[in-house]
Amino acid sequence: MEAVTQQIPLEHFLVLSAILFSLGVYGVLTRRNAVLILMSIELMLNAASVNMVAFAAYTSPEQFIGIIFAIFIITIAAAEAGLALAIILRIFRYRKTANVDEIDELKW
Amino acid sequence: MSNELNLDYSLLTPEFCLGGLAALILALDLFAPRFRKEWLPYLTAAGLVAILVLSLGWVNKESDFAGLIFIDNYTTFFRVFFIASTAVVALASAHYVQARLSNPGEYYALLVLSTIGAIYMAASRELLTAYISLELLSFCLYVLVSFSTSDRRSHEGGLKYMLLGAFASALLLYGISFIYGSSGSTFYDEIAAAYAGGTDGFELGLLMGLVLVLAGLGFKVAAVPFHMWTPDAYEGAPLPITAYLSATSKAAGFALLLRLFSGAFMPVRDDWQWMIAALAAITMVVGNLVALQQSNIKRLLAYSSIGQVGYMLMALAALSSASASALLLHLSGYVITNLAAFICIIAWYNLTDKEEIRGFRGMAERAPLLAAVLAAALFSLSGMPLFAGFFTKFILFQAVASEGFLWLAVIAVTMSFVSIYYYLMVIKEMYISEPEEPGRLQVPVLLSGLAVALVAGVFYVGIYPRHLLEVAEEATKLLFA
Repeated sequence: MEAVTQQIPLEHFLVLSAILFSLGVYGVLTRRNAVLILMSIELMLNAASVNMVAFAAYTSPEQFIGIIFAIFIITIAAAEAGLALAIILRIFRYRKTANVDEIDELKW
Repeated sequence: MSNELNLDYSLLTPEFCLGGLAALILALDLFAPRFRKEWLPYLTAAGLVAILVLSLGWVNKESDFAGLIFIDNYTTFFRVFFIASTAVVALASAHYVQARLSNPGEYYALLVLSTIGAIYMAASRELLTAYISLELLSFCLYVLVSFSTSDRRSHEGGLKYMLLGAFASALLLYGISFIYGSSGSTFYDEIAAAYAGGTDGFELGLLMGLVLVLAGLGFKVAAVPFHMWTPDAYEGAPLPITAYLSATSKAAGFALLLRLFSGAFMPVRDDWQWMIAALAAITMVVGNLVALQQSNIKRLLAYSSIGQVGYMLMALAALSSASASALLLHLSGYVITNLAAFICIIAWYNLTDKEEIRGFRGMAERAPLLAAVLAAALFSLSGMPLFAGFFTKFILFQAVASEGFLWLAVIAVTMSFVSIYYYLMVIKEMYISEPEEPGRLQVPVLLSGLAVALVAGVFYVGIYPRHLLEVAEEATKLLFA
């Protein structure tokens, strides 16, 4: 751990997470399939995990807050994916589509 | 924070009991086929009332669980508040669930579990705990919104709510990571201590964190421009869940926001005050103006609740001990009033299957009690004197104006006048239009009793607001200690 934090500056990790996060937001805004939107949201969550672990290693290596936070993010993301897929599956069963543009009975 | 962690589990007794109640409901539903399912709501409500009485034992006590969860008057206030509103929703669901939904056991168990999440949102003083509580509440609500198998709108509302909710969680988490990075902690008091020492060098990280946290939580409480899910989720959800969304999930979001901003972000007040003020202004204007053109009562109340969120955000922008207690007062008044309105709508929908505003024609003739209660609730929401809404708004606007946000208070008063128009439209249909079908309707005693009890609460808060205000002041005192 010592070696890595000395060789690579914190900014590299922050840029990596910013790229991941932006890709996720882009995906949520442009993808029309509910499953792909869900995957884009997972990317955003991973960006947050990367940030957490990086901050933990660089700013307070003696504490575990950031790392524990990352573990919880992973767990909750898994639960979220399970729940979302169940809902998408039910929609698909009724409408034969997972395209969010076609699921449009509710408007204004 | 001291090194000795206080791991006194007895502090969490009410939540353990809530978990036990949820497990009991599920077990009865699953393993006791002879158990009459129509008793489940009464069992749920009875259990909740018992836990409510139990949680009153913590009044005026102050303690914390491992520095994560604080049990003080603020927590006790919201414990009572959330448990009571869940009990009302459980009772109001009785006929609706029996007639229209399958799997009542899961329905009531999720309702009870979501209450735990709501309570810990108010109680936690650490970002991870707060986040997990928020997700506990949200996950239960995602399932409950998409609970109906017969109504196609339910799935659609659930999907939209779920995807946007998950998106909001991701924004919130990314924001939290910047708050953690710039302050080195996730405990509210340590964050405040870190920021109090100056923010030079990480101004950008702090600003990113604040914007993202505000966006994420703004989604959860439905502030404009993060409100798109609200009308769809409200319309798609089973009616009692719509009531629950408008009451508990909103109040829990504000309970979290209030503790977070007063506990952690007070030293950097100048950085976020203008953001929340701007959010409050557009939320009030958009919520109330879009409500004008709604034809479905659920969507109308969804936009009206967005308008109310604007008033509440205003109190957050002008954060002080006076505006915090005014916020709690307004929140209580709003929840009591909204539940009263929704109980009338649920009763009417049970009997007539109508939820369009046109469908309320002649309600005064066919169900005079319901019409009177609904009219009282709508007058209260618009802020007429004598009703709860007038005094709670008056105290709220006054607290905001005295903190130097006179312009926000002016917008709020103007928008309150606008809101009278769309509430009166509903009242006009109920009292002036001729009924579509003749004949009096037989309203179940349970629902009319609940409606009368809640409307009595509306008048009580409207005429003697002092009592509730004193309770709210007690509850928020420690936030600014």
